[in-house]
Amino acid sequence: MRKRTLKRSSLRRALTAFWWLTLIFLYLPLAVVVLFSFNASNSAASMTGLSLRWYHQLLGNEQIMAAFGNTLILALCSSVIALVIGCLIGYGMYRHRHRKLGWLIVLIYLPIVLPDIVFGISEMAFFVQFHRLTGLLQPGLGTMVIAHVTFQIPFVALIVYSRFVGLDPTLFEAAKDLYATPAKRVVHFMLPTIKPALISAFFLSFTLSVDDFVISFFTAGPESATLPIYIWGAIKKGVSPEINAIATLMIGAVAMAAAISLLFNRKRQS
Amino acid sequence: MTDLTNTVNTADRAEVADTASRDRRGASSIRMQGLRKQFGRDSIALAGVDLDIKAGEFFTLLGPSGCGKTTLLRILAGLEEADDGQLTIGGKDVIDMPPHRRSVNTVFQSYALFPHLSVRDNLAFGLRMRGEPAAERNRKVAEVAEFIKLGPLVERRVDQLSGGQKQRIALARALVCEPDVLLLDEPLSALDAGLRGQLQVELQRLQKRLGMTFVFVTHDQDEAMVMSDRIAVLDSGIIQQVGTPSEVYEHPANAFVARFMGHDNLFAITASEDNWVDTGLGRLQLDPAEQRDTPDGWLLIRPETLELGGDVPADYNRLEGTVEERLYRGSRIEYRLTVNGHPLTAVAGNLGQRIHDVGDRVTIGICPEDLVRVAA
Amino acid sequence: MLQTSQTASRRHAVVSETRHLLFTVTPGAAWIIVFLVLPSVYLMAVAFMTNGPYGLPQLPLSLNSFEQLAGVGFLGWSPGNLYTLLRSLWQTIVATGLVVLVAYPIAYYITTCRARWRPIMLLLVVVPSWTNQVIRTFGWMNLLAPGTPLSNLAEILGLISPNMGLYPSNFAVTLGLVYNFLPFMVLPLYAAFEKLDTAQVEAAQDLYAKPVRAFWNAVFPQTLPGLLAGVVLVAIPAFGMYVIPELLGGGKAMMLGNLVATQFSGGSNWPLGAAGAILMLIATFIGLFAMRRIGKRLGGGEEVVI
Repeated sequence: MRKRTLKRSSLRRALTAFWWLTLIFLYLPLAVVVLFSFNASNSAASMTGLSLRWYHQLLGNEQIMAAFGNTLILALCSSVIALVIGCLIGYGMYRHRHRKLGWLIVLIYLPIVLPDIVFGISEMAFFVQFHRLTGLLQPGLGTMVIAHVTFQIPFVALIVYSRFVGLDPTLFEAAKDLYATPAKRVVHFMLPTIKPALISAFFLSFTLSVDDFVISFFTAGPESATLPIYIWGAIKKGVSPEINAIATLMIGAVAMAAAISLLFNRKRQS
Repeated sequence: MTDLTNTVNTADRAEVADTASRDRRGASSIRMQGLRKQFGRDSIALAGVDLDIKAGEFFTLLGPSGCGKTTLLRILAGLEEADDGQLTIGGKDVIDMPPHRRSVNTVFQSYALFPHLSVRDNLAFGLRMRGEPAAERNRKVAEVAEFIKLGPLVERRVDQLSGGQKQRIALARALVCEPDVLLLDEPLSALDAGLRGQLQVELQRLQKRLGMTFVFVTHDQDEAMVMSDRIAVLDSGIIQQVGTPSEVYEHPANAFVARFMGHDNLFAITASEDNWVDTGLGRLQLDPAEQRDTPDGWLLIRPETLELGGDVPADYNRLEGTVEERLYRGSRIEYRLTVNGHPLTAVAGNLGQRIHDVGDRVTIGICPEDLVRVAA
Repeated sequence: MLQTSQTASRRHAVVSETRHLLFTVTPGAAWIIVFLVLPSVYLMAVAFMTNGPYGLPQLPLSLNSFEQLAGVGFLGWSPGNLYTLLRSLWQTIVATGLVVLVAYPIAYYITTCRARWRPIMLLLVVVPSWTNQVIRTFGWMNLLAPGTPLSNLAEILGLISPNMGLYPSNFAVTLGLVYNFLPFMVLPLYAAFEKLDTAQVEAAQDLYAKPVRAFWNAVFPQTLPGLLAGVVLVAIPAFGMYVIPELLGGGKAMMLGNLVATQFSGGSNWPLGAAGAILMLIATFIGLFAMRRIGKRLGGGEEVVI
């Protein structure tokens, strides 16, 4: 018995050590980026002192500012469109869940299971040919918004759908019973009830958009580089320390999102 | 008996008021004709229901699960469309009217309180949807909260309420709309026995005070008898019997109703002549009013009408039996007897008379007027 | 008379339900069909066309692109593309295996910790994947470049030749893949561990003297659905990975994703790229299909939702 507990505790200690090692593995690359963003010299191999010069350079770099703007516009526009379309389809899936909707499920999962690169080049090939034939849909922010909405729709739809499924179905009947017309049911019952789902769907869409590189890369035009595309270009041209600074800001945004989600979780638990 | 005529009178008066002016809580009568409903290809929920419910009546739809009672209620609410048939509420044809245009409100079994709203906003929901001005709304909500004695609950969030509280709020939310008809779909089934009994009484009092037409659905025959003015017993989508609680309990229309109302002492009639019938217990004499031409059907003996031991009056039926089991229930004592090899249950009030022991041979006296013939 | 009006109203109800379905579903379905299904179909068609000037596809139809993918060119057969394919497959298998080896103990460890810590621990595992893939990979470039402590250490240990650095290399690509996909494996495994029937595990501990056997007989089978879900979540995107081999691999560590992308970004050969994409799609659907089959056999069908 004694021997067994001893063995257990040594296994546990090994696991704890492994956990911390994994955490180091996960955060080391990010930490290096953050650290070097404050490097005084432009060496990528050694720290020579602390400075904020790369952040100052960022502000003066028009390309970066434009890329930052593009990223925000793209994320915002695509998330709003995807929220409306995805919400409708999520509700349709719920309301008609007793029908045979297999084809719809396949359609909805398609953007999720398709490899990024296939997704990106299909859109690119399509937009290029479509533009050659009609003169419309020139590659740029417009085509990027279209592509982003396409991969955001399924996530919104599935989040909204699962929220509806979690509701007591008699609530819909109670709303009808209490004199709510179809339009009033949407405004006073459905939208308020699924509000938490809509908020998280919006934030997920936004994050997916900012996070995406491959699909943006293939659908972008010459003027519509987003931050990830700019960073990619800068890396390809030869590393500039400025990248560390932009990357650090983006990591900071993610850390903030993580902190918020943690607080949210805590509040719900208590 | 006097009580019964009273209710009918109030109902009649309410109906007159209904047609004359509808400014106050106008109770409405309901008329159903040939209502049919089928789910899928072969599941018949309602097989042609004709039913009249009087204005201001506490009416109960009683039956086992799957008998069609809930479907009928949902058709009244407009939440389900009948395949065929007619439905008028307060003399108005409502069969094609969507639920949000019917002056009918429902208390749902799951309560269906909106989770995103406070108790106050839940109560005001129907009034708001109907477009009543805010001042009017607040007044009515305050009134109903007072009436149902909700007190400080009004400020709570829905997920902070107990089952009993949710139930009252669901009721208040429906009542505040002052509907012509209130529908209640097993609203007490999720509550524990004590609370349930208390709310049964409260609901019945409330209905009498408001004079509103209540249609109540339950599978519990005790609940139905305690609360209702009249009961309709349903089975397999067909109405088996409509009547007052005493009619349904004492004179069930058929063996199904008798069994559903809790009667165990049913004996197949093998032969009959004038007012005599043969059953497994032996030959028994009935009241001449129960005389039938055919020897079919069942004989119903209510356990509380049996007289055990002592002298049996000359015009009574006399049987002999053995006590197999005795269940002491405080206010009464239940005996499981065998008579000619057939089980028979008897219930005696605990009035200080002799208590029979298991194994005792006892004489059983049955007044002919207490015997009821029941159709198959 | 009554009968007919009733049936008419019922038919009306059915029609309005269908109209409702169309109203809610059409915008999204049409969007996905026009902007994803049509483009994918077009891409597949491109694979069967001939490469024209500027890399754009043209008629006649042919299987040239597939021959090129297999390595047949003007100068006869060359193994370059085949190597790329095999490398993709090999990298996927190795990375998935390594991810399992790391994720399994981590997922188990999280379930053994106090309930209030678990969401935070999961969050810690997931947060790095919220940052952009390009940035994460860039972080590894910083870490593995020649002259960094890690590269110097590897040099001292004799693992790499002097001044080469750990990147670009196949090793760096594997590392990047493991790093990238670790959370995708931890989450489904964690879900499986959390549902673990502890009574069964305890019974197994009594039954089998050796904990190893108890593990294989009681714990492992129960986590298998989660493991399989993780494998699909990791292996399918890993096989089509583009960013990581492009940044960490250099020219020698190309994977299928790079081969495909090059044909489009350089404008060199759309049909060849499309043929590569078809190969990737086939691999994807084989993976999903196998997953469904195995998932069904294990009886955990609904847990294996992707």
